[in-house]
Amino acid sequence: MLGGGDHKARILVVDDNPGDVELLRMALAEAGVNCDLTVLDNGREALEFVQGRGRFGAAPPPDLVILDLNLPRNDGTEILEAMRATESYAETPVAILSSSSSSREQAKVEGLRVKRFIVKPPDLDKYMRIGVILREVLAEERARGIAEG
Amino acid sequence: MPGARSFADMPIKQKLVSTIVVTTAAALLLSGAGILFADAFLFQRYLRHDLAVLSSIVGDNSTAALAFDDPHAAGETLGTLRARTHVISACIYRADRTILASYRRGGASRPCPPAAAGDEVRATQSSLAVSHPIVLQGRRIGTLVLLYDLGEIGERTRLFGLTILAVLLVSSVIAFLLSSTLRSTITTPILQLAHSATAVSTTRDYSIRARKSSGDELGVLVDAFNEMLEGIQFRDSGLRKALIDRGAALAEAENARHFLETTLGSIGDAVISTDIEGSVAFANPVALALVGWPESEVKGKRLEEVFHIVNEFTRSAVESPVIKVLREGAIVGLANHTLLIRRDGSEIPIDDSAAPIRDASGTIQGTVLVFRDVTERRRAEEVTRRLASIVESSEDAIIGQDLTGMFTSWNRGAERIFGYSADEIIGRSTSVIAGAEQDDEMPGILARIARGERIEQFQGLRRTKSGKLVDVSITVSPIYDELGRIVGASKIARDITEQVRSVERLAQLNAALQRSNESLARSNEDLERFAFVASHDLQEPLRMITIYSQLLVKAYTGDADPRARMFIEYISGGARRMQELLADLLAYAEIGALVDDSRSATDLDLVLAEVKQNLKAAIDESGAQLAADPLPTVIAHRAQFIALFQNLIGNAIKYRSADPPRIRISVQDETGQIRFSVADNGIGIEAEYLEKVFVPFKRLHGKQIPGTGIGLAICQRVVEHYGGRIWVESEAGHGSTFIFTLPATARVRKER
Repeated sequence: MLGGGDHKARILVVDDNPGDVELLRMALAEAGVNCDLTVLDNGREALEFVQGRGRFGAAPPPDLVILDLNLPRNDGTEILEAMRATESYAETPVAILSSSSSSREQAKVEGLRVKRFIVKPPDLDKYMRIGVILREVLAEERARGIAEG
Repeated sequence: MPGARSFADMPIKQKLVSTIVVTTAAALLLSGAGILFADAFLFQRYLRHDLAVLSSIVGDNSTAALAFDDPHAAGETLGTLRARTHVISACIYRADRTILASYRRGGASRPCPPAAAGDEVRATQSSLAVSHPIVLQGRRIGTLVLLYDLGEIGERTRLFGLTILAVLLVSSVIAFLLSSTLRSTITTPILQLAHSATAVSTTRDYSIRARKSSGDELGVLVDAFNEMLEGIQFRDSGLRKALIDRGAALAEAENARHFLETTLGSIGDAVISTDIEGSVAFANPVALALVGWPESEVKGKRLEEVFHIVNEFTRSAVESPVIKVLREGAIVGLANHTLLIRRDGSEIPIDDSAAPIRDASGTIQGTVLVFRDVTERRRAEEVTRRLASIVESSEDAIIGQDLTGMFTSWNRGAERIFGYSADEIIGRSTSVIAGAEQDDEMPGILARIARGERIEQFQGLRRTKSGKLVDVSITVSPIYDELGRIVGASKIARDITEQVRSVERLAQLNAALQRSNESLARSNEDLERFAFVASHDLQEPLRMITIYSQLLVKAYTGDADPRARMFIEYISGGARRMQELLADLLAYAEIGALVDDSRSATDLDLVLAEVKQNLKAAIDESGAQLAADPLPTVIAHRAQFIALFQNLIGNAIKYRSADPPRIRISVQDETGQIRFSVADNGIGIEAEYLEKVFVPFKRLHGKQIPGTGIGLAICQRVVEHYGGRIWVESEAGHGSTFIFTLPATARVRKER
């Protein structure tokens, strides 16, 4: 199974809604993604995490960042911009998990090399399919890493 | 009756003769017949009496012979009857009816008739039988019977008839001869008179006289005839004399007539003359041209026929001037505003007058009518009047002045602006209304005017009657006389005080309007933003409710209390509904919020194709048929037009009748706009709801037809966002047609 086996994927989830985090966990589990989740529920912490400040010290960049755009204090776009400005995060794959389907939201992250823009669906089954999508992203990333050596 | 006619046609002389002859013959015949019958009657009476006497005498003479029964004596007595040749036979019967004696005329063989009971005369065709009783001393002793031959009467009658016939013949001949003589005394003079009349009429010799031959009625007739001839002869000679005089007069009159006709033909006015009856006698070429009749047709026509005039305003016929002239015997000028209706129906305003034509003795012989076409004059008057009224009613002051600077005219506008009335100011110097600085500009202006220049719209201050200064804009132009010389100046002055004030006020209003527009736009924007954010942020918690109630259902299916499951169903059902409402509200708010303002050329044919694809399931399920005109390409948001068409077509399918939906999409170019229509054969909309269907979340149907009621509100918002209009035409049960327009400017040329 992809994402399984010896390697446990490290995923950073930035979302202030615990309900969504729980659903995300269930979706990843249902898709068979073997992972460690780090969950941050506000923009400032996420910013500290990325810049290696505060309590997160020198945590290594995760395999995947799942980012909500609508966050308290610093919003998702800000975090994404900070990531792309930080060398260690420049190529980290990012999936946006937005509560809005608005094209304006998408436009905000244009050019910031987002892997997937996922709108949180208002349906359980559809939500569960997010796990599959994220599994694909991880698989692509691994394939790229192998290709690049 | 031919007989009667032929009698009527007979010459008088024959009438006379035949009348006399017939009358005479008739009289003779009647009297002859009367005498004949009287004679026959009297003779028979006489004969009976005679026979009675005879039989009485013979009977008395036979009494003795009977008494003594002496046949011989009786025979002798009977023998005396021989003297009466018409007695055929006689017998004497005894009382026992045996014959005593008998007598027979020589050769006669007829027997005695039997005796009757008493005295009796019995008549047969040719004879009379007389029976006479013979009485002695009161006792009947026998009977005498006589048989008398009636042949005598026939003989007598024949003789009479012959006599009458002879008399008739003779008297007829006499009557004929007499009447022939009479005839010549009556008919001859009549024939002579007739002959004279014929001679007069053929020879025209009025000196002939008829000869009088008697003093009776014919004589009177001849006298009257001669008298008449006398009169005619007198008149005839008078006429002959007059004829000779007239020849000379005619030549002279012809010259005069020619002269007059030439004169009338060459004058500019129309002239028509009539005779005393009002019939046209003459019309000059101008008159003919005006009335529109050819000369050959007007002569002798009634004037009214040719010269048809009506009142310009009332259109009622105006009295013929000729009738008026003939009645009043004076010159009449026709009323103003007379319209001549020409032969072809066209109308010409005319001025006219009519006058009687009198002969040397002053007797009216006819009339002469003079008129002229006043179209041109009327037009000029009209223009003048109109100009005068424009000047008079103008709000601006229009003032005339001469070159010395004196006012010559002053309109109502001038009165209004400067306060002086025309009477007050005309004739006074223009310095009366001069503002402070006018002394400087006026000589310069007058000098320029004198050079023929026009000075346009300079502004200046003028003083009104009340001493107030007014701001005026003035244009001055020269006034020319007929010869083109400058004789003065016309000034048009406009009070611009009010205008200046208006401009300021307008600017203030505009500013206020702009402020309120801005605030309106701002609050509109705020509202849209609010709707957008609200619906957006509300989705978040709703999603939680939805998904977690789904989770509850999924996780606890089977072991949960059925009531608990039902409640969870209600929660998720409500959440779903709220979800839809929010999605729609968001879509609705987004249209105005213009999340993405990049409009581009959108091919509506492609939009429609996509809509069909989106609605494929509904179309297949309902068996809907779609027909569409080729659609234009417009500058628009593709997504918004997908929403527009999808809602309209989706509704047409959703609100279908029992029949499969038939949907017709048409496009029509109109002035300034493109008109689209989406027509269906669905259930239609009742008239009272036609407006309400566009109100957001307004629904006409219950849960059996799904929907949030935002679709048409979105359609309306999209159309109005592009500057168009949308409405629906429908009747319950007869389908609906949604019509929307877009400004023609939205269209771009399609690239294919």
